[in-house]
Amino acid sequence: MTKTVPISTPIWCPGCGDFGVLASLKKALAELAIKPKDTVIVGGIGCSGSIHNDLECYGIHSLHGRLLPTAIGVKLANPNLTVIAAGGDGDGYAIGAGHFIHALKRNPSLVYLVMQNGTYGLTKGQPSPTAVPGYEGNVEAPFDAVMTALSIQNTTFIARGFSGNPAQLTDLLKKGIQHANSLKGFAFIEVLSPCVTYNDTYKEWREQVHNLDTEPSYSSKSRVMAFTRAAELLSQGKIPTGLIFTGETKSLENNTLMSKEPMALQNLSLATNLQRYEELLKDFR
Amino acid sequence: MIGGQGGDGTLTVVNLLGRVFRDIGLNIYDARNVLSRIRGGHADGVIRASVRDIHSIGDQVDVLVAFDEEAVQAGLSDLSETAVIIFDSSKGPLSEGLRKPGFRIYSAPFGNMAASELRRNIFKNTITFGVLGRLLGLDDELLKKVLIVRYERRGKEALESNLKALQIGLDYATKNIGRNPYSLAPASNSNKILSTGNEAVAFAFLASGGRFFIGYPITPATDIMEWLTPRLPKFGGVVKQAEDELAVINMGIGAAYAGARVMVATSGPGQSLMTEGVGHAGEAEIPIVVVECQRVGPSTGEPTKNEQSDVNHVVFASHGEFPRFVIAPGNANECFYITSQAMNLAEKYQLPVFLLLDQALCQNSASIEPFDLTKLTIDRGKLATEEDLAKLAVFKRYEFTEDGISWRSIPSEEGGESQVTGNEHNEFGAVSTDRTNRLRMMRKRMNKLELGKKDLPKGNNFGPKTAKIGIIGFGSTYGPIIESMEQLASKGVEVRFHQIRTIWPLLEDDLADFMDQLDVVYVVENNYQGQLASLIRSSVSDLKRIESITKFDGSSFKPKEIAGAILSGLTPKVSA
Repeated sequence: MTKTVPISTPIWCPGCGDFGVLASLKKALAELAIKPKDTVIVGGIGCSGSIHNDLECYGIHSLHGRLLPTAIGVKLANPNLTVIAAGGDGDGYAIGAGHFIHALKRNPSLVYLVMQNGTYGLTKGQPSPTAVPGYEGNVEAPFDAVMTALSIQNTTFIARGFSGNPAQLTDLLKKGIQHANSLKGFAFIEVLSPCVTYNDTYKEWREQVHNLDTEPSYSSKSRVMAFTRAAELLSQGKIPTGLIFTGETKSLENNTLMSKEPMALQNLSLATNLQRYEELLKDFR
Repeated sequence: MIGGQGGDGTLTVVNLLGRVFRDIGLNIYDARNVLSRIRGGHADGVIRASVRDIHSIGDQVDVLVAFDEEAVQAGLSDLSETAVIIFDSSKGPLSEGLRKPGFRIYSAPFGNMAASELRRNIFKNTITFGVLGRLLGLDDELLKKVLIVRYERRGKEALESNLKALQIGLDYATKNIGRNPYSLAPASNSNKILSTGNEAVAFAFLASGGRFFIGYPITPATDIMEWLTPRLPKFGGVVKQAEDELAVINMGIGAAYAGARVMVATSGPGQSLMTEGVGHAGEAEIPIVVVECQRVGPSTGEPTKNEQSDVNHVVFASHGEFPRFVIAPGNANECFYITSQAMNLAEKYQLPVFLLLDQALCQNSASIEPFDLTKLTIDRGKLATEEDLAKLAVFKRYEFTEDGISWRSIPSEEGGESQVTGNEHNEFGAVSTDRTNRLRMMRKRMNKLELGKKDLPKGNNFGPKTAKIGIIGFGSTYGPIIESMEQLASKGVEVRFHQIRTIWPLLEDDLADFMDQLDVVYVVENNYQGQLASLIRSSVSDLKRIESITKFDGSSFKPKEIAGAILSGLTPKVSA
């Protein structure tokens, strides 16, 4: 067997929430028996955006904020791949916020895993888009990505996990991967993943998280219920977690790809198509 | 020249005339002068026909159709001394100040005639098409045929009204134009096709196995996306309009990484947003073709006007140092073959390749030889198959190799798992700040600039080898330069022209060969600073020989302007 790139040791501080995310991700992929050769992990820039180095896969490290367009490019080129975009909240909700909004409305069949910690850890603790007022002089409102995702009418999978609850996280990741791999659309999973060095929120988050999966009357299939319940919980100082919303809308691939043969694997030989190309010459007459 | 307000149907007349000219075997070249708005404002189109091969709009306008005074005003400086003006006097007669002694003016209220006879002012354009046809001595039946081809699919009413309008124009001509000031003899160029640079780029991309095109609407690049949108999906491809150019380039990078043949297209402002991505492709060794359709800049500039001021922008795009090729075709024909070549170069050398066009090349149409599809080749470089990978004991995406290029795998291939990154990395793609590794990786990447020179398109040379005066130009200046050479030759001045096609890396040997016997070289370009001239000065030893001829008013060079500049530059040198 060909020897390939060795797995790196994570760059994270001891106790970092991202270790939990990595463990859950490995478990989810293993339990779904997805081969490394078919897995593409697109990393963002930041501590969390190095996760692709730490497991067997095809890894591509995108520019800061650009992991979603990169991942969409990969998925459209070859929809048979398991594509997971993984980055932080600065990457996704600040410098890459425009792409986040458009990914939500575009519904590409990939998993977007955001490790949210309220801070820019790699640059030593500046407030990120999810930072609460008062953190490092922050005076702005925290960005709530789940509420934003719910507000876009064709989102199909919205979840929030907590690295302090690995069983729930593994389950959400498995569901998200299955959703994406059956070309149902965009699986958005935000993970509360504390930065133990610059913004250790383990204690607060343990008290604040509210697992909607455990509410018998809650249905993730109702956008109205999801919106109402999430807004209620937020107003009570709680953070909703679990599988928050699932919907059905045509995915980007089902809307866009006209050929069953992935663009990345098509036979491009000139001879095969010469006659059909000659036809196009008529448009120049 | 057909001029009026946007929405007057001026460009329709240009298109109809073009069809007629081509039907009688003439070569044509057309250009449009429009504003960046949907309707209104002065707009004109210029069409030139010739038995010869032409790639410029020439020096002067012989016939002007003007739907208002503004159109005469706008065209005045371009009109020949003996121009014919067909003037729509619906809003009053043409002012005395706009009439020159040599002009022949046919004035009638064409707009009012259309409104009273056909109930719609808009048919004035077809009326003038009839007048023009008669003026040029064209066969009435041919004019009718062209109208039928254009309007029969738009319904019976549209066709009948246009045929009536044509007849009104012909009747007017019978009464008012005694003899034909011009007559056009049929020629034998009927095998030619008509293409803009943008259309040629789009077709070449598709035919060369391009399957994924990503864009964001921007003038003058959008036509490429528009051409591909209805066609690419039929070949299993995708045209994706993204939310901005940041997404465009990164989506392109993702798809190219995954194995698709990818192209993106934009203009200067979009390139500003793509800049970081291009550097990323250079560092991560991702093959991607970026079409840069230059327009007047900076900022929003003049979106619909011609300029070549992004030479530095693409040659030096992005922070840090990385290899990129910048290739510039000079006419629609070259756009076809060079686009295909750019796609091969991107994959062979695993780097970003810029196709540098300009608005005039992108959007003006020219009669050219039909594209020869059998001349295209597809070379995907060291793209490993699973069998290739199985033969390797170790697969390293960024391996140091003898030929300077590493094997590239694509996801789904067993044994090709790798890390691809814009961080500095070791051979496996793992992040590295090791100093020795940094030196080797930098040299590996930058060496592609040397390696690529053997495959990059050399310049085309025109004119006698005995000439002592040289011209260098790229892109749409090709046409005007060729014609300026003829004008100079008729005055006994020999010049030789090097149409440079690889702008980065400069092919120093190719330039040196060209310049060897020359006393002076004029670099002709549509920008203020003489950006190409500066680049060339950086690669030649005798700086005194390089002079700049620049134009940056938003319009293309006229042949006489280039010839004039060279003649005026010649005077002091001769006397000295």
